[in-house]
Amino acid sequence: MDASAVGEQPESGLIAARDLSKSFGSVQVLGNVNLAVTEGEVVCVIGPSGSGKTTLLRCFALLEQPTEGVVTLRDRIIAAPQLPTDIRQNAKAARGDIGMVFQHFNLWPHFTVLQNVIEAPVRVKGDAKAAAEANAMRLLEKVGLADKRDQYPSRLSGGQQQRVAIARALAMKPSVMLFDEATSALDPELKHEVLLVMRSLAEEGMTMLVVTHEMGFARNVGSRVVFMDQGRVVEDAEPAAFFASAKTDRAQRFLRQMQD
Amino acid sequence: MGGYQFRWDVIPQNIDFLLSGLQQTLLISAITLSLAMLGGLMIAVMDMSRFAPLRFLALAVGEIIRNTPILVQLLWIYYVLPVAMGINLDSWTALIVGLSIYSSAFIAEAYRAGIQAVPKGHREAAQVLGLSPVQTFIRIVLPQAIRLTLPPLAANFVQLIKYSSLGAVISVGEITRRGMELSSSIFRPLEIFTFIAIIYFLICWPLAMGIRLWERRLSSR
Ligand SMILES: Nc1ncnc2c1ncn2[C@@H]1O[C@H](COP(=O)(O)OP(=O)(O)O)[C@@H](O)[C@H]1O
Ligand SMILES: [Mg+2]
Repeated sequence: MDASAVGEQPESGLIAARDLSKSFGSVQVLGNVNLAVTEGEVVCVIGPSGSGKTTLLRCFALLEQPTEGVVTLRDRIIAAPQLPTDIRQNAKAARGDIGMVFQHFNLWPHFTVLQNVIEAPVRVKGDAKAAAEANAMRLLEKVGLADKRDQYPSRLSGGQQQRVAIARALAMKPSVMLFDEATSALDPELKHEVLLVMRSLAEEGMTMLVVTHEMGFARNVGSRVVFMDQGRVVEDAEPAAFFASAKTDRAQRFLRQMQD
Repeated sequence: MGGYQFRWDVIPQNIDFLLSGLQQTLLISAITLSLAMLGGLMIAVMDMSRFAPLRFLALAVGEIIRNTPILVQLLWIYYVLPVAMGINLDSWTALIVGLSIYSSAFIAEAYRAGIQAVPKGHREAAQVLGLSPVQTFIRIVLPQAIRLTLPPLAANFVQLIKYSSLGAVISVGEITRRGMELSSSIFRPLEIFTFIAIIYFLICWPLAMGIRLWERRLSSR
């Protein structure tokens, strides 16, 4: 693999993985990943199933601990193989500042839509309930679900649930949003409404790291495309250049398969 | 069918005596359920503890209780404990203690199953949003786990109503014991034990049916 294809990222990315490796037992899932996302960028991560995309996102979300290397937020280390007190404190402060949207929504079924959205601002930030509700309603308005505020998640379609999950993450006013195949569990006609919300977020300047199989989204909304295979970043390029002529055979093969 | 003359009038004649036994049965079951809910929580917490000796203790207690007969446990508490450890319990207390420990082991399982049934993703979503582990447990895991645990708890109550009849063996005056006492004084065991069986059935069956409906409703959600 040619290291030059990975490209040099500015040290000062908003959020970055530096020489990040992750193993489960003796199986290495991520190998020496370097990836920096600068403010306002929409980085789309694509690659075959099992290539480590979810694991990478989970490292950024502080749900997995790196085996080697670090994750930084504004140049502060928030995840590392060892966790001395200062990194623990950085990590604690970073939670909520990094929003994550899961493939399977993970809404809390015993809370209504509104309760799902206000839970973290009230419990974590200590926001007053009225203020949290006002903010939540603004966000639900934005994802087009204000009228569902008192529904339980089980009464909503998958697309609606995912839009609530996006609102829930936004309620913490994160600096960066991570999306792990946010539309993969949805029927084709429901994917669209979620992609629209994601697109409008991108247009508002949200910093986003998006694992997706939606090549249209990566091409039209992404500011960069990162192609992963077998736990490594194989290409990191402008979407137009990547989709016109991917440098590596592996990426070309992947793109051909996606077209079928 | 033989020439036995049923004399059902012995039941109303002795109804107060029998119903005082029923009252004991229900009281013992309710007290035991309350204690076992606490005991079960203790075992479940020990079981999930990060501290290995606690986990081992919870496991050992659970295995011993689930793999020896409840009747032997009661006899052991009533007859062996005074000799082995100098702990003398009257028969009523021995029954409560024995049944509570027994139920604790099963209720701990119900708690654990309820907690494990909450998808990992629900906890992770909370974690990413910044909720502490304690907040996550109290706000996200517990409310969901409790709903799933209520039907098994109710089922345990039904078990306890039936198992409290074992108190008869160590002369606790619950309804089965009352029946034994009565039949040895008026020699009408057929009527008495038929009546007692019907009483147990009339209490346990509706409860069991209710629980089945409840579980079906929970699983269809
Ligand atoms: N907790 C885990 N324990 C062991 N192996 C894991 C774990 N999580 C992921 N893996 C493995 O890591 C590899 C990459 O998985 P993942 O990050 O989910 O890939 P992707 O999201 O690109 O499909 C897979 O082979 C998967 O089986
Ligand atoms: Mg994945």
